[in-house]
Amino acid sequence: MTTAPTPTTLPRAARRPSNLFPMLGVALAALVLYWPLMLWANSGQAARSLASGADLGCKTALACATQLRNPVIPAPGQFASGFTSLSVPPLAPTSAPYNALVTGGETLLGLALASVLGLVLATLLVRSRSFERATLPWLVASQTVPIVALAPMLAVLLGQYGVQGFLPKAIIAAYIAFFPIAIGMAQGLRSPDPLQLDLMRTYRASPAQVFGLLQVPASLPYLFTSLKVAATAALVGSIVAEISTISFSGLGKMLAENSRASDTVALWVIMIYGAALGIVLVALIGGLERLVTRWRPPA
Amino acid sequence: MTQKNVQAAALPLRSGFGLPLLLIAALGLLGLSVLLAGQTAPAVAWPWLVGVVALLLVGAVGIRQSAQGETPLARILPAAATLILAILAAEAVLRAYAVPTGLIPTPSKVAQSLWAARNVLLLDAYYTFVLEALLGFVVGTLAGLGLALLAVRFRMLERGVLPYAALLSSVPIVALAPVIIKAAGLGWPSKTIIVAITVLFPVVINAVRGLQSAQPMHLDLMHSYAASPAQTFREVRWPSALPFIFTALRVSSTLALINAIVAEFFGTEGHGLGFRIQIEVGRFGLDIVWAAIVVASVIGISFYLLISALERYVLRRN
Amino acid sequence: MTAPRSPSDTPIVSVRDLSMIFPTPGGQTVALQDANLQIMPGEFISLIGPSGCGKTTLLRLMADLIQPTGGELLVNGGTPRKARENRAYGYVFQAPALMEWRNVLNNVKLPLDVMNTPKAQRDSRAREMLKLVGLEKFERSYPWQLSGGMQQRVSIARALAFDPAMLFMDEPFGALDEITRENLNLELLRLWRETGKTVVFVTHSISEAVFLSTRVVVMTARPGKIEGIVDIGLPHPRSDDSREDPRFFEYATQIRELLKKGHS
Repeated sequence: MTTAPTPTTLPRAARRPSNLFPMLGVALAALVLYWPLMLWANSGQAARSLASGADLGCKTALACATQLRNPVIPAPGQFASGFTSLSVPPLAPTSAPYNALVTGGETLLGLALASVLGLVLATLLVRSRSFERATLPWLVASQTVPIVALAPMLAVLLGQYGVQGFLPKAIIAAYIAFFPIAIGMAQGLRSPDPLQLDLMRTYRASPAQVFGLLQVPASLPYLFTSLKVAATAALVGSIVAEISTISFSGLGKMLAENSRASDTVALWVIMIYGAALGIVLVALIGGLERLVTRWRPPA
Repeated sequence: MTQKNVQAAALPLRSGFGLPLLLIAALGLLGLSVLLAGQTAPAVAWPWLVGVVALLLVGAVGIRQSAQGETPLARILPAAATLILAILAAEAVLRAYAVPTGLIPTPSKVAQSLWAARNVLLLDAYYTFVLEALLGFVVGTLAGLGLALLAVRFRMLERGVLPYAALLSSVPIVALAPVIIKAAGLGWPSKTIIVAITVLFPVVINAVRGLQSAQPMHLDLMHSYAASPAQTFREVRWPSALPFIFTALRVSSTLALINAIVAEFFGTEGHGLGFRIQIEVGRFGLDIVWAAIVVASVIGISFYLLISALERYVLRRN
Repeated sequence: MTAPRSPSDTPIVSVRDLSMIFPTPGGQTVALQDANLQIMPGEFISLIGPSGCGKTTLLRLMADLIQPTGGELLVNGGTPRKARENRAYGYVFQAPALMEWRNVLNNVKLPLDVMNTPKAQRDSRAREMLKLVGLEKFERSYPWQLSGGMQQRVSIARALAFDPAMLFMDEPFGALDEITRENLNLELLRLWRETGKTVVFVTHSISEAVFLSTRVVVMTARPGKIEGIVDIGLPHPRSDDSREDPRFFEYATQIRELLKKGHS
């Protein structure tokens, strides 16, 4: 352990050693492993193609491993060309960044919808014990149910009633995010200390004041925790919804199209975009959380 | 003030009225459904809807009455009644409006289809749950625990790998699924791999957090006994990690099944609940879709309860 | 200086044969039995006793946080409920119970927000209170940035913010270390002198009770009841020197004897 003197004004987090170098090391190790892994994964298919007499413009299976039309793992050159063809220009209807924006927008709209509904349900749960007893077991159970399995069906159903375009995906995203948010919010609305409730009572605060001045602010950290959990699920929901309806944009549409066309390089590129979108969404919510709950000590 | 008044108003009705009201509502709704089953769809549907809403209101009052007090019945009855009344009301309304099965099937139709297709659905469930979700869950958990132990043993690894694990846990599984299915084939193992990957991250993150949650005072105590690292691990680190690990397992238990189903949307060899749902949605066989969802739900809830029971058992012993 | 008192003054709190019985799984717990007590305006009363003697129960009854099962209780000339609805008292709990999302200034402003005090007055009033407890430099800080003692000072400022006639304090310094506690005791005495409020103070520390109070109500447990009341004749204003006064030890001994008597 080094005991280098640090100025006491630094926040505690800054004094911990940075994760940057170990993370770079792991990234480097992954890069080094990538090349042999790619050759190994692709050489089988290359050998079969050669054996069947296809002319790939190369002699050995190992040499052909980077030239396959549909490789298991794309070679660096294939990645590069796949990225360019799917990303330039970024806002063309066929390019991945544009479609990622569409999907991200649907998901965010869904999360906003889910938060409003979740707050209403959570309020009911906290206010009425009969309501809680009647519905809470099923709300909890619904968390263990593959709700996303309902997405294809819901998409068809909403289409029947003329709900089309952006909205059905957002509704499905909201539908998936809604339960964790409602339960998290209910937990949050109950989180105030009994002393804080007593305090409000000594002020003769109205129920609305207790709700607005105490319960809602106390529930915000809970809301963001469940939003972060719900974000990925909601993203899955909107992508599945895009796949199961007639969609003209979105990552789901791109996945479905390229899955049919067996364009594996494109699938890899879309996967990376989808992964990035998930990470960005959670980071966005995290940023919003820090902005809204600025009162909290830094982690 | 207002709340007090409401309670006072409910008082004369309080005890004893819950169950009869619930019975009236349930039998009434059942009666409506039976009446509707005996004829073709009624020309005017709204009187039936009014009847259903009225009976539901009676049921709601019944639920409110039966939820009073702290008896076991007051805890269970409202939830059970809610489910039963919801199913019966759906049955009656769907029949009154003659909603086609291809759009929303009636609960009774779903039950019939569930029974008729039981063998197919059970085989699907075997693929989806046993081969994909359960196997993937076990593999992912073991790999996650192994990785967590390594990460705690070698600080560098923790600092290098854990941030990625946290990052990757927010990757949507649907983005992963097509690539892995392309790489590992359409058979069930590709789905097992997907489930294992999605279980891996929460287990690693929580296990590392748990293994580091040991109280410094306890570690100092073990140090003062000159305990070996293995003893310290067994007596302090592992027990304090268990609650964290089980939290991850509980969350993953539900994720495993859900993700197996979603992964099946991207390609199978013709088995699995996700596959069934997807093709039946395509041909408007929504009764089968609902039946598959019922099967998946029962399995999902049972698996979750099983893990929770295991958690209680293990944590009580420690 | 205590507010001038004469026998004709009507008590601000009047407790007559007050009882509080809680139902428990094994039957009933008598938390308070036939308590009698008159508190005059401007007094500093301490309730002292072991845990389970009903001192907190008595305070919560006065504050209308719970309702008695027997006897008569008048606060500020009416029922406790009316006193609460007239915002006649400020309550300080064992824990600061600050709202962690409000900064120090806004925490002190909380009662003013609830009571719809004219907006223009809220800030100045809250700043005045913070100055009174010596925290004017911390108004922008959040609770987690303050020490336990500072947090409790904020909660005292908050209790005084709406200028209630009475201050009810339930072991406010119980969780603090001895040095911080003695500092806050001095500060509290100064506040009491400057504001002329009636204070009812729950504690389990004999020296704290003697140092602060005009009268100490000694309570004993099982069932919770008032064992005796000790007048503290130490002169005001008190300072750290008061602790050296021989009478200080006499009063402490007297209280200790009463506590022992109830114990045997």
